[in-house]
Amino acid sequence: MSKFLSRRPGRWRSAVALGAVAVLGLSGCSLNEGTGSSSGGDSGDGAVLRIGTTTDVSNFNPLQSLSKTDSWILNAMYPHLLRIDENAKKAPELAKEYRYEDGGRTAVFTLRDDFTWTDGKPVVAEDVKFSAETIMKYKLGNVAAKLTWVESIEAPDATTVKFRLSQPYAPFAEGVGFWMSIVPKHVFEKAGDLSKFPNDSNWVGAGPFVLETATKGQRYVMKRNDRYPLAPGGKPAVSQVEYRIYPDVNTMMLALRNGDIDLMGTPVPASATKTFDNDEKIKLQKVGALGFAHLTYNMNNKHLARQEVRQALSMSVDTKAVISSVLQGGGRQMAGPISPIFSDYDNTDLQPYPFDPAGAKAKLASAGFKDGNGDGLFDDLTFGVACDQSNANITRVVQLFRESAAKAGISLENQCVERNTFLSRTKSGEYDIDASQWGVFDNPMDQLRSTYLSSNPGGINYNLLKSEEMDKLITDAAATTDAAAFKDKIKNIDRVVHEQAYLTPLYVEDFQFAYNASRFTGFVASPSDLLGMVTAYSLAQVKPVG
Amino acid sequence: MARFVLSRLLKAVLTIWIAITATFFLLRLLPGDPTTLMVEGDMTPEMQAALLRTYGLDRPLWEQYVSYLRELFQGNFGISFRQIQPVTDILLDRLPWTLLLAGTAFLVTIAVGIPIGVYAAVHRGRWADRVLQALGIGGHALFVPSVAMLLLVYLGARLGWFPIGGAIDPDTRGAAANLSLAHHLVLPVLSLVLVQLGPYALTLRTNMIEVLGEDYIRAARARGLSASRRVWKHGLRNAILPALTLMGLQLGTLVGGAVLTETVFAYPGVGRLIYEAVGQRDYPVLQGAFIMLAVTVVIANSLTDLLYAVLNPRIRL
Repeated sequence: MSKFLSRRPGRWRSAVALGAVAVLGLSGCSLNEGTGSSSGGDSGDGAVLRIGTTTDVSNFNPLQSLSKTDSWILNAMYPHLLRIDENAKKAPELAKEYRYEDGGRTAVFTLRDDFTWTDGKPVVAEDVKFSAETIMKYKLGNVAAKLTWVESIEAPDATTVKFRLSQPYAPFAEGVGFWMSIVPKHVFEKAGDLSKFPNDSNWVGAGPFVLETATKGQRYVMKRNDRYPLAPGGKPAVSQVEYRIYPDVNTMMLALRNGDIDLMGTPVPASATKTFDNDEKIKLQKVGALGFAHLTYNMNNKHLARQEVRQALSMSVDTKAVISSVLQGGGRQMAGPISPIFSDYDNTDLQPYPFDPAGAKAKLASAGFKDGNGDGLFDDLTFGVACDQSNANITRVVQLFRESAAKAGISLENQCVERNTFLSRTKSGEYDIDASQWGVFDNPMDQLRSTYLSSNPGGINYNLLKSEEMDKLITDAAATTDAAAFKDKIKNIDRVVHEQAYLTPLYVEDFQFAYNASRFTGFVASPSDLLGMVTAYSLAQVKPVG
Repeated sequence: MARFVLSRLLKAVLTIWIAITATFFLLRLLPGDPTTLMVEGDMTPEMQAALLRTYGLDRPLWEQYVSYLRELFQGNFGISFRQIQPVTDILLDRLPWTLLLAGTAFLVTIAVGIPIGVYAAVHRGRWADRVLQALGIGGHALFVPSVAMLLLVYLGARLGWFPIGGAIDPDTRGAAANLSLAHHLVLPVLSLVLVQLGPYALTLRTNMIEVLGEDYIRAARARGLSASRRVWKHGLRNAILPALTLMGLQLGTLVGGAVLTETVFAYPGVGRLIYEAVGQRDYPVLQGAFIMLAVTVVIANSLTDLLYAVLNPRIRL
């Protein structure tokens, strides 16, 4: 070795070059295209649509996966009974229609007869029955909770599925119809224990596109299903969809501008939308959200258990300023707990609490709170505001809230922490005020049950509310199958929550999705960052420009 | 020498065991568990309990630890919570990319750092030396993701010289694929090299200046040896020793830097896998990745120690 070192520098260079070649050689030998089906990679006619995603598919089993980015790919393969349209209303997908029988105790779906699995077999009612029963048996994903009321499932013929329920539950069909993926029984039943079935190759789907190859860390190539009835002409105009992974959203934006991808699956951050101002080929599509940002008050705190304190806090946050400064105008105010996107259920008689710190201070003073030391803050009225610090918008809101609440005499402590820590604390009730953002509620009833029922069935009753009145109102509404009466009851709960100020809605965000309009057109946007532009229905409508 | 090698081996094994144990317990000390991230949407406590049971996380900690060690001795890193695949397969899928990236950056740093360090030492006090010192100090302050994003914006997006992220154009084959591989590698390697190069060259420069002032160098000059022979044969051979230690330590930094570099450049290596697994609390993947990286660093440092001993017999004493 010492001899080696004593050689001339030319030898060093040779050694380094040799080393580099060795590393390249060692690495290169296994840097191959990934796993998947054995069918060829010929994209045939039509164009290739390249979509940016943020992470790998973590689980290819659609009955089990809980990941948003997984769902973008899996939903294009496995049909759902219903979809959510541009106006957040349920629309037919695999199911032509649904109805309730037996006083709401039986939900009946009628399926289309022209959906076909890519191996040629038709999609039938037995596939739906099998999918639901598998989820119930293994308690898979978050759909299992939506099937809580199911006592039995029948498939009397190829296009009819009947769910017998233990009790009427108004949004049952909508919830199950939207969330549950339908898998091919003849493929999945051979896999044994489906809770351990990775489904990572030889994919058989009935959506507009089906995975052909999956190269972990790099890309997922989906081939067109030539028999997809919801596409114009019976088959998608795009021959291939390719998901490319960009964990960093800034890199993804650069890739879009550079022409490496045609669509960002993830929304453009509000602060970055101006990046595309001077780029004529890039268009931004605005869509609403199915969730919203909120402040929720822990009712186990003796002060927060008082209505006037919660109302004063609601008057201490300037939601208009939050929307203009934090979201740069890309959001809407809310009054009650139902997002305005659910126009049938949003109680438009309600008005947001006015931003009025002086009024809030007066309200607290009249409620008996004192400022003993004259520092402008009420004694003992100090709360911690917990939030997920990876959510830049919410973190900024907490700062603004802290400043404005001080003017109302309320001292707030910023307790924004790492995401898992935050979720862990909210789960165990270790917070005074929770500042966060609901992700996706597909219907208001599920939302109200999850967030206000004493039994806390979804684990997200962040108020830790135990109110007999609310339990009664929610249970009564849930069992109402008459559409008009159901809407009225939801609006009434909306009013009660608003008056009680159980939460302060901050905003409902507008998401902006960027795509290359010089290459593709025809996207059908659906609300939320879960759906956006990458739903099965949207991808089936896309066509190349020119 | 045999005793020295044996003691180094024992220390390496002990270090790896400590790394395994620390990784295992630290991950479990973090607030929340893998089901915490799944809490949004409807997930009843019963379902969460069922998931924890599936993951084996409902058992006492010591039982999980013993079981983990037992499996590890059999070469089994476990099954990914999220991907339902053996961790070994997942890691082996990603490892070549990180080896390629970190290995190339490592070699480029040495290949460029040595001549720069030597040149600055020989020309100490001149402008080139001052530039190196400024860059060396600046290198310490550079943040890998910022450098990476700057390179992407200017050399990738604005000038269009390099691709925006990724590791290879998947549609290329043969020589074109190799070219694409190299093309995609340039910016990630450059971002790592820019951060590593300054401190490395600066260390070498300092060592060289010290060595070049030694009596035996003066004696070599008196014997009529050429300047290049004095510098490259006698000077570098001795100055390289402390730099060798730095190289071993830098491997750890390189691997750490790869986590951020791979994320910004959408490079499919172990670093990005760690980034994703942290967000998902995928303990088996994290444990496997950290252990693999720890083993890599321990092996590199042990080899450095051995190399050091070969070059400088005094340290074996």
